[in-house]
Amino acid sequence: MGNLDLRKQSTNLIVCALLLTLPFWIDHVGSYIQLGTQIVVMALAAMALNFLLGYTGVLSFGHAAYFGLGAYGTGMTIRYLLPSTGVGILVGTLVGALAAAVIGPMIVRLRGVYFAMVTIAFGQVFYFIAFRWNDVTGGDDGLTNWKRMPIDLGFTTVDIQHNATAFYYFVLVIFAVAVALMAFLLRSPFGRTLIAIRENERRARFMGVNVNFHIWMSWVISCTFMALAGSLSSLLNNFVDPRSLFWTQSGTFVIMCVMGGMRSFWGPLVGAAIFVALQDYLSSATPNWQSFVGLVFVIVVLFFPRGVMGIFRRKATE
Amino acid sequence: MSFLTVENISKHFGSLVAVDGVTMRVEKGECRAIIGPNGAGKTTFFNLITGMLPLTSGRVSLEGRDMAGIDPSHRVKLGMARTFQITEIFPELTVRENIRIPVEIAAGLRFSPWMPRAMEGPIRDRIDQLLDEGGLHRIADRLAGELSHGDQRACEIMMALALNPRLLLLDEPTAGMGDDETYAIARLIRRIHAEQHMTIVLIEHDMRVVFNLADRITVLAEGRPLAEGTPAEITANEKVQAAYLGGAA
Amino acid sequence: MTQLILFNVMNGLIIGAFYALMAIGLSLIMSLSDVINFAHGGFLAVGAYLAYTMTPYIGFWGGLIVAPLLTAVLGLIVEKFLISRVYGRDPLYSLLLTFGLAFIFEDGTRYIWGAQSLPYQVPGWLMSPLSSSLFFLTGYRVFMIFLIVVVVGGLFFIMTRTRLGLRIRAGTLDLETVSVLGVNVRVLRNLNFGIGIYLAGLAGVLAAGQLGLQPTIGASLIMPSFVAIIIGGLGSLTGTLLGGLLIGVASGVTAVFLPSATEAVMYVMMAAVLLIRPQGLLGEEGRF
Repeated sequence: MGNLDLRKQSTNLIVCALLLTLPFWIDHVGSYIQLGTQIVVMALAAMALNFLLGYTGVLSFGHAAYFGLGAYGTGMTIRYLLPSTGVGILVGTLVGALAAAVIGPMIVRLRGVYFAMVTIAFGQVFYFIAFRWNDVTGGDDGLTNWKRMPIDLGFTTVDIQHNATAFYYFVLVIFAVAVALMAFLLRSPFGRTLIAIRENERRARFMGVNVNFHIWMSWVISCTFMALAGSLSSLLNNFVDPRSLFWTQSGTFVIMCVMGGMRSFWGPLVGAAIFVALQDYLSSATPNWQSFVGLVFVIVVLFFPRGVMGIFRRKATE
Repeated sequence: MSFLTVENISKHFGSLVAVDGVTMRVEKGECRAIIGPNGAGKTTFFNLITGMLPLTSGRVSLEGRDMAGIDPSHRVKLGMARTFQITEIFPELTVRENIRIPVEIAAGLRFSPWMPRAMEGPIRDRIDQLLDEGGLHRIADRLAGELSHGDQRACEIMMALALNPRLLLLDEPTAGMGDDETYAIARLIRRIHAEQHMTIVLIEHDMRVVFNLADRITVLAEGRPLAEGTPAEITANEKVQAAYLGGAA
Repeated sequence: MTQLILFNVMNGLIIGAFYALMAIGLSLIMSLSDVINFAHGGFLAVGAYLAYTMTPYIGFWGGLIVAPLLTAVLGLIVEKFLISRVYGRDPLYSLLLTFGLAFIFEDGTRYIWGAQSLPYQVPGWLMSPLSSSLFFLTGYRVFMIFLIVVVVGGLFFIMTRTRLGLRIRAGTLDLETVSVLGVNVRVLRNLNFGIGIYLAGLAGVLAAGQLGLQPTIGASLIMPSFVAIIIGGLGSLTGTLLGGLLIGVASGVTAVFLPSATEAVMYVMMAAVLLIRPQGLLGEEGRF
């Protein structure tokens, strides 16, 4: 038991140290700071999904929609309403949360692959809205002509617009707060009730848990953090691509969770880092990178179903 | 008024009649065993009482309160806790966590995003108490999925007890166990019944367990009630001997 | 105006028939194997491109017969060597596996046949309108509807009258009992998958003649097929057929009055069904 705690603590320390020092070493491993920011953003998305997938045991395949809603919410706020990064993030996240809260009651009765099918199909609505509502969303060309704004803290201004390192730390702070919140929730009685549902829904029900309502709450929480990740992603690119809502994107979030290890808190972060780096490399190395991404899916499923952290954990217990 | 009243309940699956007009009254503090040959409708009968299946006709009431339209999770809040024929636990969690979850739920914390400081002590004590009563202390930090069948069953019973039920329904608690495990579980149930005056309804195949534990016995056959009485009366009942005990020999 | 609506209803019916062909195959696989085949659209594209490649040698009719069969064989192979390996594991893995296959299929067709749109030649006499007032009613469209009716009819015959069909339906309800009764579940699932993929391949060939060939043809048809299953009710082939036609026509009609909502309308219908009748129009209650 003590050993396990020690290992958890050291994993936490390593993750923190790596993320905090990233701007100082990323250039030396042949990469660039924006990719580091991209990894942190995708890690937040994958961890948000894992709240539902790994900790509540609900098979959601439609999370790209909420990622995209956060992105459009933020981009459109900054472009049309108010040139403020903070307000943009807030609006984007709330839009995603609201959509999830409304759609939730229609899907929480469903289970297993049927839940997966309905969530991924529902996600397409938002893709088509973004795609068709040309005048406002930019349609197929995406939402352009806006930029993230510097953060005014009153006593000083942080120029996240031009300083990529400052923006990285800005994203990292939000990531840290969001992840700490999720960790806090998962360690609470509420979080344990969600884990109980994952472990054995029938048992949970016969403990007096209103399972559907708990799944709804977990769904809304997960989608809210997902929208936050989408919001940060739009700020990173100063652009929103309607394809970030397309159904194929949902699968990549799931594979990040699985590749890293769904049963481990940091697993999705590891998965996101590997996936983003791999995709970045493949897309510059070969025009057929999509096939290789598909191959990664197949290999993970057939040979590494427990993910990277799962392998570590198994080694440690042996 | 009886504690648990089952009045003339039936369950039809299409043309199949699984439970056919069963009436049963269980008094507070009683330990009632339900026996009957395979396919007698015992588990279906249980599922009707706990609300897992809707009734075709009849009425179930707990302390005079009609259970119609009350879903299973709500019945738990009204004091009904059950175990299943195939043990239902949280396999990837430790025994302590398995017990902790129902303790927290019973304390009304299922929506609580943090642990109130004042509750920490009482909840820890309650978990330890349940681990003690169930003889689970030695395995408290092991994963429930890795335990022996008997230990898993003990864990499941203590999880049900953690909910502070007033009625405990046990579906074949000793099914598939060797003599030692069966004895341990029977002793556990007897202690719960004796020390906490818990009202218990249990389905059981092992007649030694039944005659050792039950105050009264209800015999079901082909979905119908065949007989009811004290263990002595049931042993002497010719109908039961012919249809059940005799048939089994 | 009436003509315009009629035109769009007709268009909707045809698109809806593609959805239905896809959805019936998806539904068969999902009911028996608990697998959502995200690669279904990929198989559809393979069927279409195979027909395109073969047409110069064996003609339109040859392609129409051979391409779906070849696609089905590819389906049998993929099921046997990949998908069957994840049966019995968390359904998550089968979904990810077919998801990866969908990527590979789409990119593979793009690699082999190119990213640009290709024309698919249908015999000229089939393309001419049957009447001058109903200009949109070409022989090809009538033929497609006829063929789909025949194929779906054949499928219903297989499902209700043959031993294979009865076993598939029984397996859908209770796989354990079927396997205890001595049916080889592996073979059953394999054949069932093949039937589903055959339908996808056929839909591909027909769609190629109607919509033209692009590598993304499958990816754009698969989500509406999900919607068709959800609206019709999983496990009910009639329901799925109905669901497909219904959303096809609804999109067609919406295209007249509110073009920007052409795609969105089916999702609104899906939401309505999930709220009012979660098991789908013809689905059984309590299945999910």
